[in-house]
Amino acid sequence: MKGFATRAVHGTFSGKDPNGALRMPVYDGVAFEHENSASLAQTFAGRKPAYVYTRLANPTVQDFEQRLQSLSGGLAVLALSSGMAAISNTIMTLAEAGANIVTTRKLFGNTLSLLSKTFQPWGLSVRYVSMLDTCALEQAIDNGTRAVFLESISNPQLEVADCAKIAAITAKHGVPLVVDNTLLTPYLFDSKKAGVNIEVLSTTKYISGGATSVGGAIIDNGNFDWRRSPKLAGAAERFGSMAFMASLRQEVFRNFGACLAPHNAYLQSLGLETLSLRVDRSCDNALALARFLAEHPQVAAVNYPGLPEAGSHAVAKQQFGASFGGLLTFDLADEEVCYAFMDALRVIRRATNLNDNKSLILHPWSTIYAEYSPEERLAAGVRPSMLRLSVGIEDWDDLVEDLERGFNHHD
Amino acid sequence: MQLMINGKAETLAEDKVSVAELLALKQVESPDMVSVQLNGRIVARQAYTEQALAEGDEVEFLYFMGGGARG
Repeated sequence: MKGFATRAVHGTFSGKDPNGALRMPVYDGVAFEHENSASLAQTFAGRKPAYVYTRLANPTVQDFEQRLQSLSGGLAVLALSSGMAAISNTIMTLAEAGANIVTTRKLFGNTLSLLSKTFQPWGLSVRYVSMLDTCALEQAIDNGTRAVFLESISNPQLEVADCAKIAAITAKHGVPLVVDNTLLTPYLFDSKKAGVNIEVLSTTKYISGGATSVGGAIIDNGNFDWRRSPKLAGAAERFGSMAFMASLRQEVFRNFGACLAPHNAYLQSLGLETLSLRVDRSCDNALALARFLAEHPQVAAVNYPGLPEAGSHAVAKQQFGASFGGLLTFDLADEEVCYAFMDALRVIRRATNLNDNKSLILHPWSTIYAEYSPEERLAAGVRPSMLRLSVGIEDWDDLVEDLERGFNHHD
Repeated sequence: MQLMINGKAETLAEDKVSVAELLALKQVESPDMVSVQLNGRIVARQAYTEQALAEGDEVEFLYFMGGGARG
């Protein structure tokens, strides 16, 4: 099975279910019984592939992980309770107090908050650079750097960094490159091919199949020599290429307990099956709406990497090919006009999620970035006049009609 | 040949055995998910066929439960 859609549909479940179930059933329980104490001891020692407790591993969750691994081509996948859990568990596995992470302010607001407000007081230093300035990025890396972190398309700034160029720099310095690939998923962007070492995802978005459930995933692409990581060198002596995943599973993930619920894993496996269909439709709609908005007299600016006039277009085209995700932003006259525009919409929903089947609109300035000062918001590329539109899979003409309704709100 | 497998002393009739052959010989469960540790170090998956075992070697079959280690 080579094709993405074929692998997504058929998955890796062997069909060895006692009742011949074609789909992995939901093992919605907590504990797994063993026939004797020796079996339990062997399993705890890692010598036997069996389940003991759902926080550690669960058949339905594992099926989802293996499907995602097959689709991404990574070495190993860990599913977690949310995208934020994926990011926090990754950083905690790679870094320690006194070390630093090199990143950018062009990030999802909660990720920025996690790094600056949660981790920094615990002694992790966070260095902010522009990911478009690779010289500054390289200068920020030193012996204390444990990871470079960025988003494949940043939310909501829609900045696109040249991952292959950055990967060459991080490889030279022996620092793992971690990329949040939520807005594209492995379907649109093969992070391993670009040299990214760890991919993190909020599977809540495109993968869940229409905002059915919250989840996250960490993919180890298997292309980093963990002996070069001061934090994981010891684990690398023992576990080789599996050092990151072993440390993650046997320490950070196990101890923090941010496991994916089996029922959510089931929903997300269902979502994976139709991922390529939904993403294609969403991308087609997004490009069409971006073009429509770009020509509208009330729109001051449109940002979508798929528009040839976008600053990010050349890198995005080279990196992602012909599809650029379902997220775009556009600017109206001011905050007040943005509110009135949003309130007039009937098809496009006012909600904070993205990459849902439904088109969703948000005013980032007053919501996901509200915890920051105006100066910080502007530094993060968020403006009072900016709206974020996550384009769903509806019929294009219904979405255009709805946008027209927003523009005519004063009538 | 005497080996220590998962903490237990075992005698194999064969004199020459590779890691791949040992996995088959011992009918190890889910061989595509197992990581093999030889004398305290994980053996690279692509080396399973060439990696020969020697008298007295300590072999552990380890599992990282969850998706992975198929590469």
